Amino acid sequence: MAFSCKNSSKFNGFSSCIKMVMVGTSTIMMQQRTLAMEASLCVKKSKKKGADSVTRPNSQISAAMAAVTPLLLLLLLSSAPSFSSGSRNAYNINGRVKIPQGLGTKGYALPGRMSNVKVLLNGGQNITFLRPDGYFSFHNIPAGTHLIEVSAIGYFFSPVRVDVSARNPGKVQAALTENRKGLSELVLEPLREEQYYEIREPFSIMSLLKSPMGLMVGFMLAVAFLMPKLVENMDPEEMRRAQEEMRSQGVPSLSSLLPGGARN
Amino acid sequence: MAIRSFFLFILFFSSSLSPVFSLYEDQVGLMDWHQQYIGKVKQAVFSSQRAGRKRVVVSTEENVIASLDLRHGEIFWRHLLGADDVIDGIDIGLGKYVITLSSGGSILRSWNLPDGQMVWESSLQGPKHSKSFLLVPTNLKFDKDNLLVVFSNGRLHAISCIDGEVLWKKDFEAESFEVQQVILPPGSDLIHVVGFAALSQFEMYQINAKNGELLKHESASFSSGFSGQVSLVSTETVVALDSTGSILLTISFQDGKISSQQTPISNLVEDSLGPAVIIPSSVSGIFAIKTDAVTIFIRVIGKGNLEVVEKTTHEIAVSDALSISEDQQAFALIQHASSEIHLTVKLAHDWDGNLLKESVKMDRQRGLVHKVFINNYIRTDRSYGFRVLIVMEDHSLLLLQQGEIVWSREDGLASIIDVTTSELPVERDGVSVAKVEHNLFEWLKGHMLKLKGTLMLASPEDMAAIQSMRLKSSEKSKMTRDHNGFRKLLIVLTRAGKLFALHTGDGRIVWSYLLRSLHKSEACQSPIGLNLYQWQVPHHHAMDENPSVLVVSRCGPSSDTSGVLSFVDTYTGKELSSLSLDHAVVQVIPLPYTDSTEQRLHLLIDADKHAHLYPKTSGALSIFKREFSNIYWYSVEDQNGIIKGHALKCKCTGEVADEFCFDTRDLWSVVFPSESEKTIATVTRKLNEVVHTQAKVVADQDVMYKYISRNLLFVATVAPKGSGEIGSVTPEESWLVAYLIDTVTGRILHRVTHHGSQGPVHAVFSENWVVYHYFNLRAHRYEMSVIEIYDQSRADNKDVWKLVLGKHNLTSPISLFSRPEVITKSQSYFFTHSLKAIAVTSTAKGITSKQLLLGTIGDQVLALDKRFLDPRRTVNPTQLEKEEGIIPLTESLPIIPQSYVTHALRVEGLRGIITVPAKLESTTLVFAHGVDLFFTQLAPSRTYDSLTEDFSYALLLITIVALVAAIFVTWRLSERKELQEKWR
Repeated sequence: MAFSCKNSSKFNGFSSCIKMVMVGTSTIMMQQRTLAMEASLCVKKSKKKGADSVTRPNSQISAAMAAVTPLLLLLLLSSAPSFSSGSRNAYNINGRVKIPQGLGTKGYALPGRMSNVKVLLNGGQNITFLRPDGYFSFHNIPAGTHLIEVSAIGYFFSPVRVDVSARNPGKVQAALTENRKGLSELVLEPLREEQYYEIREPFSIMSLLKSPMGLMVGFMLAVAFLMPKLVENMDPEEMRRAQEEMRSQGVPSLSSLLPGGARN
Repeated sequence: MAIRSFFLFILFFSSSLSPVFSLYEDQVGLMDWHQQYIGKVKQAVFSSQRAGRKRVVVSTEENVIASLDLRHGEIFWRHLLGADDVIDGIDIGLGKYVITLSSGGSILRSWNLPDGQMVWESSLQGPKHSKSFLLVPTNLKFDKDNLLVVFSNGRLHAISCIDGEVLWKKDFEAESFEVQQVILPPGSDLIHVVGFAALSQFEMYQINAKNGELLKHESASFSSGFSGQVSLVSTETVVALDSTGSILLTISFQDGKISSQQTPISNLVEDSLGPAVIIPSSVSGIFAIKTDAVTIFIRVIGKGNLEVVEKTTHEIAVSDALSISEDQQAFALIQHASSEIHLTVKLAHDWDGNLLKESVKMDRQRGLVHKVFINNYIRTDRSYGFRVLIVMEDHSLLLLQQGEIVWSREDGLASIIDVTTSELPVERDGVSVAKVEHNLFEWLKGHMLKLKGTLMLASPEDMAAIQSMRLKSSEKSKMTRDHNGFRKLLIVLTRAGKLFALHTGDGRIVWSYLLRSLHKSEACQSPIGLNLYQWQVPHHHAMDENPSVLVVSRCGPSSDTSGVLSFVDTYTGKELSSLSLDHAVVQVIPLPYTDSTEQRLHLLIDADKHAHLYPKTSGALSIFKREFSNIYWYSVEDQNGIIKGHALKCKCTGEVADEFCFDTRDLWSVVFPSESEKTIATVTRKLNEVVHTQAKVVADQDVMYKYISRNLLFVATVAPKGSGEIGSVTPEESWLVAYLIDTVTGRILHRVTHHGSQGPVHAVFSENWVVYHYFNLRAHRYEMSVIEIYDQSRADNKDVWKLVLGKHNLTSPISLFSRPEVITKSQSYFFTHSLKAIAVTSTAKGITSKQLLLGTIGDQVLALDKRFLDPRRTVNPTQLEKEEGIIPLTESLPIIPQSYVTHALRVEGLRGIITVPAKLESTTLVFAHGVDLFFTQLAPSRTYDSLTEDFSYALLLITIVALVAAIFVTWRLSERKELQEKWR
């Protein structure tokens, strides 16, 4: 690890210094603008779509809330200077994929073992892999707005929108597209774990009873034991009359149906 | 009311299956199989580590880098690089890192050999494009750090093997300098870079490996020029051919002085041979040249004296040199002889003495040997043993050792071009069945075990027994047709020109056949397979015939080269016949007609827009003539943005007097303005799709009629600027237009523009709807849209009385020339992932609800209910709509991990998804292919028409027994009670 992240450690130092400068100057202004832009974007979208508009208010609300609380805003959105300029109008995007230790205990991708994680730029235009410490980089990327996706079995990652600015290298934003949350650094964490299999319910009496057969048996038992109770509560006079009626109609009883019943 | 309660009942059932496809972990491998491949090996490096497992690291034409077990050929680890990130070279550094150079020499990566974890990655830039070389010297040290020497993009780099840092670099900026070799003489600190400049200049640079300092630059001019590659015969001598390909130039640059000698090939070989090419090899002192028919091995003696050592007309493959001791190099040679191959291992300085000579029986279906890689090991008696890895014409990989094939991998299956299916033979008395059913006791025992499993009472051993019993079920891998139609043959055509038949039960190869018509020949220089069609599917008239498939191929990459047809029996895997056509094949149209022997009629369109009918029989012709005026097709010209409709006109006129050839006429054309629209996707319905009903009952007892036509075409166009990658265009300059076009009349039925969107577009068309996936630049997310098209002309057929009295227009003939009254409904949703492929489930009768199968960028296949893409979804559906099963509208489509068809597996390099209906209506078979293969059965609405595999018969039996017992007990009780009553 010590040897493999020489480049990345360099970039880390770079990032922190830029961040300080940014905080010292006009960060808030700029971020409010970007937020406003995002919010207006949502509005536009909803106007166009009509039916969809009602379903997309949460992002607007979150944007508004963030605008109200600048402190939160500082945490949410600050430019990620994880971009070092290369030659010929091409830039490098550096970032990190972090899978929290708590996750992954169920074990498709063991924690720390990230050799099967892929990072994809713009739908597979560039593919890169993770170093042992989770860092990745894309080289020679033109300025513009890009999309980074992480493919890891067992985890759900939101795609990340990354803006690489040509005019002002270093002034770049990254935001999760799923929940429109800004990223202060290009550190990608899974939104949730993915469980691909159903979990077998342990055996319980309740599940057996709830099954169609259980219900059938339950109903039969209820009929067998509750019906006589009901019959008992009836008026003996009425009961006799009913029995008479039944005999006259010749409805076979259970006992008469069975071979033993013939004896009576 | 009854209907409503029925709906409620349906809802009760449908709501219980929200993750429709779901699997328990112990069900993996019951219905599905997964096979991992790597593709045709380009380069192989053996890991020479003494300790640990023996491995070989390979790079392939599918752009895979993999580490294989040398004992069994299994994959330890594997990575698939991006499509633009083509691997140029691989090597092993320090015995524990795999170094790869890719992307035209601009990305250098190092991987940990044991587990495949990437260690570091470096980006190498340079002034200009050039050949790239990766060299890993063993003895070049720099501050205790091993150096890697990389030449790429006109720049020489020395890179630290441990962290990938560039230690020094040196540019070769001379305009015309073309590097040919980078040489590291052993035991010195020098690097030699040799190449050509200005076609006739030979240049040699000597560089200090410690710091990149240029020590010497020599050049010499050769008036005759150069052609092709150079071969390195020693660290200070190269051999090249002059521009005519008839004179060999031996150039040596000992001590920085260039000296040369010219030897015409005719001096070495008496008979003239025509122009030759050098086969690159790294064996010192020997090189090979190849003319049309002959391969000649030539030894270099002393300073430029050449001597022919062998001349052969056999197909031959040579390995690179392998150092077996300080001054000895060995190499392997493989020659073909009918059904055998002869392997010889020779020492570089001693051509006539063989270290090893073996003959190995080789399956003819593997074709020629394309590549050989040699490795040695020390036997117990301390002598050298050799093993060779060979790559065959069909892309398979084999390890030979001691005259035997130790293992083989069918890596041709990593590059599938087309897939079709075939039924298995019907079970008859004569047909042998794989295994006899075991006796009743074993059957019961199995079910008791299963019951224990469901009741969670089973011990781990029992669980293991259950699992193996389920997986080994002989039922699924029988070679006969089954009642449910789960067992079929998947016929696949690979890029190597080989047909494989895979059994759907367990994925094993039933037969394979290297198409003879796809062999290189005089007439056909570089044949390539195009498509597979079902040629003969006997089911009524010709039950005794075996089904067969049609393989369409052509002789070159361009579409106007002549075509080749082959017919292959799918039971035996033998080629029935093959036809070399005298016309090209631009388009193949399978017609929905069959002749008396159940051969399907196919129409082949050639480059001159003639249509040719196959099979060429009179029966087929008479059927065809009957349907002559009902045959329409379309063609898409991508470059010009034109879609044209065609029909047949008359018999061919002109020199080819063939009654199976027809002239065609253009009916209509749709021209997209080239400055604003560029076609990027066209999709039609699957030809064999079955639609159960045209009517769709909606919530308020209303009926809508689906507009179902086989002649609908979905076309997506984008702004020319936005046809590039994501991020290359702003939302304002980009748009995406979707069309629905009738291919008989050319009428545009629907057109919709998505502003601020761009491709790539993946679309699927089924019944009366189309679903397409694209990128929304404004939201910077992927979107999926659905368009459903309904027939309005039948909308008033709602009155039951009208239907009863026959006053409806349902039976009136439909003509596409009458203007259709259609309405469309559409809706869009966000979707998280990029897609690689999209497909839809298909079932035998089309009754079962549909699922979309989305091949995501992570190489997984996600099943998504069509109900989520229903344009009638609203935010707050009414009670009626809820009962109908309409899901409340959400802005994005849900991704339920349990509905990944591929569960925790990846279909690496996913390219296509194919669905085939089973005979059982509820079930569809899904085959996903890429570098890996994956097959499974899907039941989009669960298996409502059969018991599932984990149905417990034992539980049923126990319940019945318990019920009978209860009856007897209650009878006893009632009898006793009756007796008491009577006594009273």
